[in-house]
Amino acid sequence: MLTNTNSGFFAYLRRDLLLAYRRKGEAAGPVIFFIMATTLIPLGVSPEAKSLEGISAGIIWVMALLATLLSTDSLFASDFKDGSLEQMLIAPDLLVMPVLGKVVAHWLTTGLPLTIVSPVLGIMLSLPSSALSPLVAGLAVGTASLSLIGALGAALTVSLQKGGLLLTLIVIPLYIPVIIFGSAMAQFGIDGLSWGSPLAVLGTLLAMAVVLCPLAIAAILRLTTINQ
Amino acid sequence: MKFQFENLPDFIAMDGHGFYVWAAVIVAALISAWLIISPLIRLRQMLKDIAQEVTIENIHKSEGEGSK
Amino acid sequence: MDWNWFHRMGSPRWFYLVTSRWMPWFGAATLILLVTGLVWGMGFAPEDARQGNSFRIIYLHVPAAFLALAGYFLMASAGAIGLIWKMKLSYMVMKCAAPIGAALTFVALFTGAVWGKPTWGSYWVWDARVTSMLILFFLYVGVMAVGNAFHSQEAGNKASAVLALVGTVNIPIIYKSVDWWFTLHQPSTIKLTSAPTMHPDMFQPLLVMILGFYCFYALALLLSVRVEILKRERKTAWVREIVGEHLTLKDSGLR
Repeated sequence: MLTNTNSGFFAYLRRDLLLAYRRKGEAAGPVIFFIMATTLIPLGVSPEAKSLEGISAGIIWVMALLATLLSTDSLFASDFKDGSLEQMLIAPDLLVMPVLGKVVAHWLTTGLPLTIVSPVLGIMLSLPSSALSPLVAGLAVGTASLSLIGALGAALTVSLQKGGLLLTLIVIPLYIPVIIFGSAMAQFGIDGLSWGSPLAVLGTLLAMAVVLCPLAIAAILRLTTINQ
Repeated sequence: MKFQFENLPDFIAMDGHGFYVWAAVIVAALISAWLIISPLIRLRQMLKDIAQEVTIENIHKSEGEGSK
Repeated sequence: MDWNWFHRMGSPRWFYLVTSRWMPWFGAATLILLVTGLVWGMGFAPEDARQGNSFRIIYLHVPAAFLALAGYFLMASAGAIGLIWKMKLSYMVMKCAAPIGAALTFVALFTGAVWGKPTWGSYWVWDARVTSMLILFFLYVGVMAVGNAFHSQEAGNKASAVLALVGTVNIPIIYKSVDWWFTLHQPSTIKLTSAPTMHPDMFQPLLVMILGFYCFYALALLLSVRVEILKRERKTAWVREIVGEHLTLKDSGLR
């Protein structure tokens, strides 16, 4: 019956990466937002290193979160509009595989670039150098969870016209544990403490998300897009 | 168990905390009252609406039956 | 096992008729319990040694917070039943429970803030419980917003139910995270409840208020669900019969 349980995953991973590559400008949006919005903080608050030091980790995390949210909206939307979502739903393979493929592609084009850019922003916001590694490590793991959880919201709002704002509303409370432990990692780095334990919690959250979210997303897609 | 205050003005003053305590009571009371009153208002409106629908239907039926 | 009773419960008509008999009891119980509890707590319970009279707000804050949280789980359970057994009545309960829970969450937040000012000097403290309560409010708003966003009632119900369940799974995670985060930033342990062991003279009225709020919640929910049932089943004969009865009894007020 199922030719290869992984086939949906790689197929959709490749597909979404290819689509992102073709629309490079659109794909770069979150990173550009990340950089620009973060730049607003010194302008809005204070350029002094002393003021920025304490809040820099948190700011970067919040901005990364918002940047991820921006791009999550379109995760399933274009597929819904052109009918390829339906194709996904009626395919004989497990629905979780294409879903996971798309989410991984989303992370590769959003979370990963954000993580790579973050040290630069850290330096710009006077983040102490001891906090740079925990910042990057935290973002790498955390943004993956953000992509998974965000996809839940995207699935819920996929058939709606003005889904974007509603998506934000739904997803932000669910993001809170990730941001707490993620920015705590960087904070521990600033204070010179060992940041292993918040990383472990982030990892646990990611593990749970990887298992649970695709299942929930598949169920949501089936429930809300049939008979619209 | 005795009443904790000397008289009514003392009760309202609550030893200086009166503003806070009564603000809490009033807001809680207002919101709770709304949670009961709102469905009652909707009920009354719903009854009226359904009665109206029935009336209109009956009019249509009697018009339809015409010569019955 | 005979599950007929369960499926019968899913019949809006059965539900409406059965609850008709309960309403006056819930109404009376709510009134008696709340008035008793409030008068007792406001006037007769001894004042707190440290907090003075502001602690009396506890008689509103704690029950509201309890019900706000319990109400969320009730809403999510109703959603789950709706999803699994496709019971429309269950979806109605979920839909009606949402604004009630959100309102109670707001009451909990407001009373908590007003309690905080005289006691700890500021209206808002980002401690674990307050912050979690705020997030609970956001979760409620999300469920309501999602439910209303869809054209098809069916799809909206399913989406709300799923979101409510996702929220349920997240509530303990969120609470634990916020708790950890708060203790991280506030090494001084500020005990934001009154002393863990409350004197019975203070605790008894609290119990009465909590019971009263439970009855109140049931009353508000049933009232709301019954209107919803009438709305959905408006074309049926039994509803029309009831409407007819009400209109002939216009003078005796609402029932």
